[in-house]
Amino acid sequence: MKIAVLIKTALDTGQLRVRDAVVVEETPLKISDIDRNAVEEAVKLKGQDKAYGVTVLKWGPLQKKVQEAENVLREALAMGLDEAYLVADEKLLNASHLATAKAIAAVVKKVGADLVLAGEATVDNYTGQIPARVAAELGWPVITYARELKVEGGRVVARRDLEDHVEVVEAPLPAVVSVTREINQPRIPTLLAIRAAMKKPINRLTLADLGIGVETKISAAYKPLVIQRKKVVIKDGTPEEKAEKLIQHLRQEGVI
Amino acid sequence: MKTLVVFPNMELLYAASTLGGEVAALVFSQKEAEAVSGKAHKILVAEVDPRLPDAAAEAVAKAAAGYDLVLMPSTKNAKTVGGLAAQKLGVELLVDVLSMRAEGGVLTAERYVFGNKAVAAVQVPLPAVATVAPGRFQGEPPAVQSAVEKLALAPTSRLKIAAVEEKSRGAVRLEEAEIIVSVGRGFKKKEDLQMAFELAKVLGGQVGCSRPIAADLKWLPEEHWVGLSGKKVKPKLYLAVGISGQPQHIAGILDSRIIAAINNDPSAPIFQNADYGVVEDLYKIVPILINKISKLKGG
Repeated sequence: MKIAVLIKTALDTGQLRVRDAVVVEETPLKISDIDRNAVEEAVKLKGQDKAYGVTVLKWGPLQKKVQEAENVLREALAMGLDEAYLVADEKLLNASHLATAKAIAAVVKKVGADLVLAGEATVDNYTGQIPARVAAELGWPVITYARELKVEGGRVVARRDLEDHVEVVEAPLPAVVSVTREINQPRIPTLLAIRAAMKKPINRLTLADLGIGVETKISAAYKPLVIQRKKVVIKDGTPEEKAEKLIQHLRQEGVI
Repeated sequence: MKTLVVFPNMELLYAASTLGGEVAALVFSQKEAEAVSGKAHKILVAEVDPRLPDAAAEAVAKAAAGYDLVLMPSTKNAKTVGGLAAQKLGVELLVDVLSMRAEGGVLTAERYVFGNKAVAAVQVPLPAVATVAPGRFQGEPPAVQSAVEKLALAPTSRLKIAAVEEKSRGAVRLEEAEIIVSVGRGFKKKEDLQMAFELAKVLGGQVGCSRPIAADLKWLPEEHWVGLSGKKVKPKLYLAVGISGQPQHIAGILDSRIIAAINNDPSAPIFQNADYGVVEDLYKIVPILINKISKLKGG
């Protein structure tokens, strides 16, 4: 079974560069954590066929970030994917999910995958809409928030983890499935696997290569969220005295 | 302005009414239609199983014709339906919207991004789809005359729901709790969590936990889990006990009024995100707190 795994080269939210606004251009990229679970699942399920990493670069500047994105993809290749596709195009460096899904669907068709796996959401924007959009674009069924997945007899069977209940859902292949962190424990690649990944192909594509065009009219500005916490730290005294001080503070705040 | 509310509740209908103009509701049963009667100008009834995202999205895409904005709740299933419908309609989808306004054919909305460390102000052309973060639009939708219409469609789904398992739901409603005592890896064994439950009891609060406690150790059911992939809470007091304060955890507690933390590691990141921090061994200080607070409340 050929599998395409969607990998977001996401902003590293632990290393946001912040001035008056978030300086996206200077913030490093990393693999969106939950995508590791999708990669792990793909490596388990692919059997004799190939598993492809598919990335659409969303954060510019293009030249600088392409290199970073390739490094991120090497990680996924080291985990066991066979090949990666990186769609890098100025027209995709924006907040449009509509355009992203079109580009991804075009790559999925190009590689001829039977199953698309993705993380439930990406760590930078956390919208979780891309798996559903890609499914709509391909005309395939989608199962989101899978915490267990089986493929048998041309069907996927998943346990779909929703707020108040878990659904056991079945869908025929080809299909799109988004997974949660609970689905598996992603492997840590060996040194040998990391070396081998250096030789695996990363194919760079533009929208023109994919034969599609996108028109986007969307703008986004990112303001750092400054939450003023008081940061009063009580570190001197006996446990008894510290407890007393904490209680006093909380009473003054009127919360106990 | 014409807004279509899908999976309507009072909060969404109110949010739609703040945009002005006509508000319609798309519901999936007669019973739901009755529940919103008098709260939307038009009520569209689609006889579709809304648990099947592809069928629900087909109904949404059909009903959305002529509307400027489709509004939904920020549930996992609604976001899935929203993604499918938005792609079919060729429009953008904004999820977990905190505030919004529509002007000159453009929707401007705010949402948390980057692990809740930033707010994005996003502008998308209308028509568009948006899901609204809970608790942000508090008000009563105005009373109006409702016209009820059946939405004619033959829904098709390629999904089959083979079984539904209810999650164990205790009395835990962390989203509504005023006081939360939350536990993390600082607790050495499961039995020790009893201390936190006692502290929560004397405070009149509930017990939350960080990811490892629910997801890895499984010491508490997931309904206690606070964080980016757990519950997002907004108590007046969040007391983090033995929680280091990973960004994913902090992202779930941003809306707390006061955050207090107990940790024996002075360099734990939770102290950077707390109003009051106590550097102390939780095994020493929690019993003292239980004792003192119960005395305080008792007399």
